[in-house]
Amino acid sequence: MEYVAQQVMNALAFGAEYALIALGLAIVFSIMGLVNFAHGEVIAVGGYTMVAFAALALSNPFIVIGGAIAAAVLMSLTLERVAFRPVRYADPTTGLLTAFGVSIILQNVFLLVVSPRPVAVTSLYFLDWPVRLMGVQVSSLQVFEAVTTVLVIIGLMLFLKRTTLGLAMRAASLDFEMVRMVGVRSNRVFAMAFMVSGLLAGLACIFIMARRGSVDPHLGFNPVLKAFVACVVGGFGSLPGAVLGGFLLGAIEVAMLVLLPQEYGGMKDAFVFGIIALVLVWRPDGILSPRTEKGDKI
Amino acid sequence: MILNPSQKRGLVGAAILAAVLIAIGLIVTYFGSRYQLRLVYSAFVNLLVVLAMQVFMGNARLTNLSHSAFMGIGAYVAAICVTPVTVKAISLPDAPWGLNTFSLDPVSSAVLAIVITAVLALIIGLFVVRLTGSGVTIFSLAVLVIVHSVFLYRTDIFKGNQAFFGIPQVFSLTSIVVLSVIVVFLVRLFRESRWGIQLRACADDEVGAAAMGVNIRRLRLIAWVLSAVLLAVAGIAYAFFLGTISARPFYFNHVFLTLAMLILGGMRTVTGAVLGTLLISFGLECVRWLETGPVLLGVDLPEVLGLSGIALGVVIVLTMALRPGGIMGDYEIEDFLLKGQE
Repeated sequence: MEYVAQQVMNALAFGAEYALIALGLAIVFSIMGLVNFAHGEVIAVGGYTMVAFAALALSNPFIVIGGAIAAAVLMSLTLERVAFRPVRYADPTTGLLTAFGVSIILQNVFLLVVSPRPVAVTSLYFLDWPVRLMGVQVSSLQVFEAVTTVLVIIGLMLFLKRTTLGLAMRAASLDFEMVRMVGVRSNRVFAMAFMVSGLLAGLACIFIMARRGSVDPHLGFNPVLKAFVACVVGGFGSLPGAVLGGFLLGAIEVAMLVLLPQEYGGMKDAFVFGIIALVLVWRPDGILSPRTEKGDKI
Repeated sequence: MILNPSQKRGLVGAAILAAVLIAIGLIVTYFGSRYQLRLVYSAFVNLLVVLAMQVFMGNARLTNLSHSAFMGIGAYVAAICVTPVTVKAISLPDAPWGLNTFSLDPVSSAVLAIVITAVLALIIGLFVVRLTGSGVTIFSLAVLVIVHSVFLYRTDIFKGNQAFFGIPQVFSLTSIVVLSVIVVFLVRLFRESRWGIQLRACADDEVGAAAMGVNIRRLRLIAWVLSAVLLAVAGIAYAFFLGTISARPFYFNHVFLTLAMLILGGMRTVTGAVLGTLLISFGLECVRWLETGPVLLGVDLPEVLGLSGIALGVVIVLTMALRPGGIMGDYEIEDFLLKGQE
């Protein structure tokens, strides 16, 4: 029983991490239709900021965490301004390929400027200690992760439903032309989307770094790959879909770890991606995608 | 068979491209060193890959990222079939299904590789054609990851990241030049064929094309399988010359490299595919030379690892920002020489 509870907690923690990243992807996609492959590098920027702080002998955890999140937000805003503004109204393929290009550039910049090898970051180890929760042994990190994701979802919901800018963003995801016509500044909407996306990447970065304890140029690549899959499965551009997809992916991944025999361990990713592909065959546009006909304006 | 005017123009264009490729082949054969010959050979392999990508991405305009996986499947099947039993006894001592107890001649190995890749592509393609836009991209990414983890995991068949060695050298530079000339004609004729035109119409206006009676899914499936077959050919050419293969060259780095080639030249045209491959293959060699920190005009440049990656990324980003259609856009090479559009 305890084993099952523990695995459920694992699945929730994995899922929470994927959901955080997937939300960051979905919010950008819903507004500008951009499949942001460079999201992983925004996460890595947060990680490298921690390295920089360690080098400056700043070990106050609040400074480290705040700095990493701020760096991720700044990076995300910079990317919007420099790389994605020229392709803002282009077709999705152009945006996707641009994001690919940005991702390659940043990975190689990390490789060139810092190091191709992993750099250890020890300042976040304090986040991880064993706790007993209702008789189940879990890591505090998993609890933090699940709680943060819940808070983020609530916060995002409040922001989107209760503020004017949130309303503008929701409207922009439906009909951007109309939003511009009623006098909302498009630059502000885009900047806000990327800011939220960067914030979520920063939060995800904290948890990834606390678990791994090191950063390398490909830090964000695999999590973002998984988060993409989560987005697509949930329904690309749908925020509830991103959360659902994230948790579903976490559950499948833990189930594969538990159920697959030891000697098939190396095939975990193949099975996970295979199951996801089958979900896509069942619902080609994702589980929670809105029902639209091709040719609809929205 | 009667060709319509645009198909005739297509033949002229393909002939011009073929002439360029043959010229490059001749120059390297007579003046190139062994090392340069190898470089040009791998550039031609990438050309085959990029042409194969053009068939699906250029006509259906859906981004496919699994091309390196299909190339890998073709390369591995051909390599496993053609390698002599004596070598396989050493390299694959515990291969299942008696894979190390037989060997075929190069032609049947190649045919088998193409057939197996085509069947796999057909099965995967049945799923791909149900998806749209970004769904195709992510699905193809999943295919890439799955195929790669199978390569890595079944070390008893594929040897994972270790080299699968002892493949006899069947191909020479001449064979690959001939092969690319054939593929250039094939790809160009596909673009101008009824299927190609209908596919491009779907990409421009899916609802409109469907309303005119175009069977979109069937056409995409045809292009997908044809693309995979050509990718298998590229993989076979790769394995038949280099003598050793491993899983690494069929993963993300190669995906990015060939994608950059296709994008720079312009994925909509065959001329673009050829031009992009030539430019990036040549440009990347120069960047790699800079990367090692050479002495230039008396200045000792530092070693900069990762420069080639940055250069590739910059090429992609700049092309997308300045000329989303690539250098060639919608122009084929003969449009500069012959009068009148299509």
